[in-house]
Amino acid sequence: MMKKSGSKIRRWLTATNIFAVLIAVVTLLPLLWMVDTSFKAPLAIGQFPPTVFPHPFTMANYKAAFGPGNFQRFILNSAVVSLASTAGVLLFGSMAGYSLGRLPMRGRVGILVVLLMISVFPEIAVISPLYLLMRDLGWLDSYQALIVPYTAFNLPFAIWILRNYFLTIPKEMEEVGRIDGASGWRILFQIIMPQATPGLFVAGTFTFTACWTELLMAISFDSNTAFRTIPVGIALFGSQFTVPYGTLFAASTVAILPVAILVVVFRRSVVSGLTQGAVKG
Amino acid sequence: MQALNLPTRTVSPRGHRSLRERLARQGWIFSAPAFFIIAGITIFPILFSIFMSLNNISLTYSGFKFQWTGMSNYSLVWSNSLFQYALGFTIIYTLITVTVELILGMGVALVLHKLAYGRGFLLAILLLPWALITAISAEMWSFIYNGVYGVLNAVVMGLGLVNHLVIWLGTPVLAIASTMVADIWKTTPFVAIILFAGLQMISSEIFEAASIDGAGAWQTFWRITLPLLKPTLLVALLFRTLQAFGVFDLPFVLTGGGPGHATESLAILSYQVLFEDLSFGPGAAIATSTTLIVMAVAFVFLRVFRVQVGDSESSA
Repeated sequence: MMKKSGSKIRRWLTATNIFAVLIAVVTLLPLLWMVDTSFKAPLAIGQFPPTVFPHPFTMANYKAAFGPGNFQRFILNSAVVSLASTAGVLLFGSMAGYSLGRLPMRGRVGILVVLLMISVFPEIAVISPLYLLMRDLGWLDSYQALIVPYTAFNLPFAIWILRNYFLTIPKEMEEVGRIDGASGWRILFQIIMPQATPGLFVAGTFTFTACWTELLMAISFDSNTAFRTIPVGIALFGSQFTVPYGTLFAASTVAILPVAILVVVFRRSVVSGLTQGAVKG
Repeated sequence: MQALNLPTRTVSPRGHRSLRERLARQGWIFSAPAFFIIAGITIFPILFSIFMSLNNISLTYSGFKFQWTGMSNYSLVWSNSLFQYALGFTIIYTLITVTVELILGMGVALVLHKLAYGRGFLLAILLLPWALITAISAEMWSFIYNGVYGVLNAVVMGLGLVNHLVIWLGTPVLAIASTMVADIWKTTPFVAIILFAGLQMISSEIFEAASIDGAGAWQTFWRITLPLLKPTLLVALLFRTLQAFGVFDLPFVLTGGGPGHATESLAILSYQVLFEDLSFGPGAAIATSTTLIVMAVAFVFLRVFRVQVGDSESSA
């Protein structure tokens, strides 16, 4: 019995498996350390050498982070901005993606190449003119100051992804719809879109993650406390002389959760999105 | 209308063309909102940014005042030592992080590819750093690097590598290296997943044939895996290079560009000149210079695999 299980373990101990465990540990350790720290009292956080487990275990950091007028506001702001942008990207992205994939528009290839080029522009290129534009529109410190740019910046990739999915849907389906006299809108929303749900998940997950993590535009256009998103809240948190790591990490742990769950649940979508990026460039 | 339309479509070629035209017009209508937003928020601002960089912009009570100055913002910026340092830092930062990420990412991808059990689990773990807010990642690493109570000091001292506390973010060289390590930790998984996806697309028969012909693992990697993976490697290289060149979040939160200006990237410098000095002309000149360099790099890369975009078009 003992010998058998011993050889089983030895058989499992291949180089591949050892490296896999090593990769998992290196990836997870910093994150676990942060979560671990969020349950430590301030004194324990400042202790050297640090203790591995929180002792005493405390929820005080979470209470401080989510005390009156604090982090909930940033989470709410991030949620509003990210969800609205994702909705916009999926709606306009499927309309354009369908047209570029399925309708006989002239110059489609050129448009697709331009979209590809736009999607690699560094954000810093547009910050100053956009700032002046937002200022003139009176949009500084508002939700739309982020929703509109986030929609614009995530549309090119979403259009590519969705176009690729629309291409795989049999042409007969639209033709039947057209013969039945369905309008273009009905063909898109009732016949085509339901067939492309996996593509919508890919584009949606990527857009949401990009909006949830974006810092540069958020800190430039919405630095007022009332409209700060999570990344801005985190970046401006330690602007005093000491960084309250406990509170910061309690807030961070909560902020990570939605996207971590989203990404793990839609793992296949994300990997397929990255694959498409790899195939189509 | 519709009843009239249908028979003509199937009978005459002219009618067929009019359906094509109708569908094309519909395509433009459907695409209009997306194209309008993209043009308004990306293309137009980029052009306006070029215009701004050629002007002297002063803040007055009535708003911003533009005064044409030609290339003077550029000569001011390019002769400035802070800009020259930021340019050099960004180039070196990009070269080192992207190279290390590609090498490590290749290793991780090969492990994922060979892994028999728990591949989905490892993929899920690898996606976490990718989806992590960079500002949070930066604060996490600043705590790990902390010179007084950071866990990294406990580890290196416990291993007996040093016998005193190291201020990781305190000196330029260490701060640059520490920032790169944090970047590599966060981005290698992204590269690995792209390369893994590329490996999955290579037919397993090729590997089988190689092993039947007696090729060793090393030989297989250099002679078969790497050449077949070249397109995927190029994509990962392009994505990462362009991303790394615009690096902002990580050094901005981790070091604030310091100590001094040691970790100040082009994007951070541009941000500071724009919003802290309120020098919109020079700020736009830095941003435009960055964009031009990025576009030049992208152009070179796109030439390398333009064939690929063409292929995906013709198969469509």
